[in-house]
Amino acid sequence: MIDARATVGVVWKQESARIVAALLRMVHDVGLAEELAHDALVTAMERWPAEGVPDNPGAWLTTVARRRAVDHLRRSRRFDSTDLEPPDVAEQSDDVLRLMFISCHPVLDRPARAALTLRVVAGLSVPEIARAFLIGEPAIAHRIAAAKRTLSASGAAYGLPSGAELSGRLASVLEVVYLVFNEGYAATSGDDLMRPGLCLEALRLGRLLAELAPDEPEVHGLVALMEIQQSRSAARTGARGEPVQLHEQNRGRWDRLLINRGFAAMLRARATGAAKTPGPYVLQAAIAVCHAQARTAQETDWERIATLYEALERLLPTPVVRLNRAVAVGFARGPQAGLALVDALRADPALRDYHLLPGVRGDLLLRSGRGAEARTEWERAASLTRNAAERDFLRARAATAGTAGRGPELGAMVDEFLAGLGSGTASAYRKSLARMRRALGERISLTTLDAAGVAAVVASLWPDAAPRGWNRHLAAFRSFAAWAGFPQLAAELKNRALPPAGEPVPVDPLLPVLRIPSGVPLRERVLWLMVRESGAPIRAVLALDVQDLDLARRAGPAVAWREQTAALLPELIAGRARGPLFLSDRRPGPARRPGPADLCPETGRRRLSYERAEYLFKRATGRTLRTLRMS
Amino acid sequence: MRYLMLSKMQDTQPDEKLFADMAAFIEEMTASGVLLATGGLDPAGFKIESSGDDVTITDGPFTEAKEAVGGFALVEVRSRDEAIELGRRFRKIVGDGESVIHQVFG
Repeated sequence: MIDARATVGVVWKQESARIVAALLRMVHDVGLAEELAHDALVTAMERWPAEGVPDNPGAWLTTVARRRAVDHLRRSRRFDSTDLEPPDVAEQSDDVLRLMFISCHPVLDRPARAALTLRVVAGLSVPEIARAFLIGEPAIAHRIAAAKRTLSASGAAYGLPSGAELSGRLASVLEVVYLVFNEGYAATSGDDLMRPGLCLEALRLGRLLAELAPDEPEVHGLVALMEIQQSRSAARTGARGEPVQLHEQNRGRWDRLLINRGFAAMLRARATGAAKTPGPYVLQAAIAVCHAQARTAQETDWERIATLYEALERLLPTPVVRLNRAVAVGFARGPQAGLALVDALRADPALRDYHLLPGVRGDLLLRSGRGAEARTEWERAASLTRNAAERDFLRARAATAGTAGRGPELGAMVDEFLAGLGSGTASAYRKSLARMRRALGERISLTTLDAAGVAAVVASLWPDAAPRGWNRHLAAFRSFAAWAGFPQLAAELKNRALPPAGEPVPVDPLLPVLRIPSGVPLRERVLWLMVRESGAPIRAVLALDVQDLDLARRAGPAVAWREQTAALLPELIAGRARGPLFLSDRRPGPARRPGPADLCPETGRRRLSYERAEYLFKRATGRTLRTLRMS
Repeated sequence: MRYLMLSKMQDTQPDEKLFADMAAFIEEMTASGVLLATGGLDPAGFKIESSGDDVTITDGPFTEAKEAVGGFALVEVRSRDEAIELGRRFRKIVGDGESVIHQVFG
């Protein structure tokens, strides 16, 4: 006996995207479309147990839901008789694609896009989404409701985007699908099946998208990437739940079926993208394919992988991509070549708490025959990771590499040091030392540290600290090192010059422009450079629109700039064709929507305000923006 | 989770409508990412047996035609209920007969 109630739930998950999409075509509002679809579901709950489940339950639900929608449109006098025509198969596909574009609309932030897509496209319930993201149900319900309101208030276009807009909007859909996949793939905690289940949902979304947008190489690239990554899921963890690195995985446990599906998707990506430069997903998939093609880890074509990472780094110069490239280069051209790339990353503040950086460095050091240093790096990695199984694994690796430095361990010594201080001093020092011990390694022996190493780590911890704060951090470590009997460890820590007491802080307003610290975002750099180079009024600079810029002549309305600005402008414009040049970080809430002239049609963000620009400059320099014009 | 559905041979000859409905169903399930693999099986097959050091091979058929397995489908679904619903829709298309569904581990 088939359980009709269970069938209703299952059919909903399988069919909701098509039903909601068909209704969206009629009512142009995601929230309303979903409500009407739910009405149909309730009708099914009432009738199927008595009348039996129809042969094609999805078609049945769609018919009932469309009738509801017609009733609704009649009541609101927006009825058009063409709404009665059921769409053909091609139109149905377009409807679902349109629904995905809407649920991943750039006017929504990323978490809202992911939640709404899982709700209306994958048909998951609010409790299921909440479990998947380890967030409370009320928060998810609120997030979805707010997303629907935002969409409805923004008047987001329901038409399928085309041309240049299509690729931007498609990128947003791909990003959401991959975000959902990674949410499931990266989950190493919790035994709830819903988290690995997220990978399956993402795969289903990706496979669906590949049928809906078959001419887009990046779609097939993403599908190939996910299929191949998923093929390794059983081999990624060992018997005790510890992570197993790719080159140490038992390849017999890789799922050949998924690998072959990944290869097939990759062939489709190549066939559709023959004339185009490969995008980031196609490149990542190509890397995954290289690994999947190697029958043993030794057969891996690292030279090719390193080349692919170089291409990827040009598109996505993120620290993580650069680190992965270093790993590949380390295998392809020897550990020294890898180390050179990794060492260049050590000063990057974005990676300072990233345990894989010392982890990778440890691998390369060990292969260079520098076991003692490898041990130090793995200790650092162990104290940085938040995952217990991974910490044990890293500690175990550290223990097998090189000899343990004999002598007191950093973490224990710091605790002892702090315990012997007065409470005021202890709390002042604790914060500074907590960061240092995490970065240097809790269990590192003081005898294995050296002054240059300490100085390098400390420099990456507080790259933007003001002199006073910087000196305070250093004082804490000096005091500790002297107490522990290792004063030489602080020998290379250099204080920064303090301004003479009693005078205003003489920060050169040009400093952040001339020597831009790594922390200053691109938008601020360009704004400050442009104000300085043009001498134009701040408001005129902020009023610039992308479409009014003459990049060749280096001029816009009432503003003319020079080479430093010109060098950075293309990166800031990033392919946008119109709208404000300088955008705020966030999209405005529905209640605070500016006029269309101050809203970017592509990102949905508003023009950067004078007040915000002033605040950002003041925070960085202590001066007003106007001082830049005078300089 | 994955399920393998094994369907026994049908008595009836498939007609054009069945072919069309089946093709549409397979296309829909492939597009939605559910159907991983499917195919028909030679109902005869051959048997391989081991006993001690001996391995013997015997050609089929071994069962009555209607007991023999004629096709399989491997699906990836969220739940047992979803597997049941897919099986139900399949049976509605092919008509009288039976299929056996096993969950696939590993």
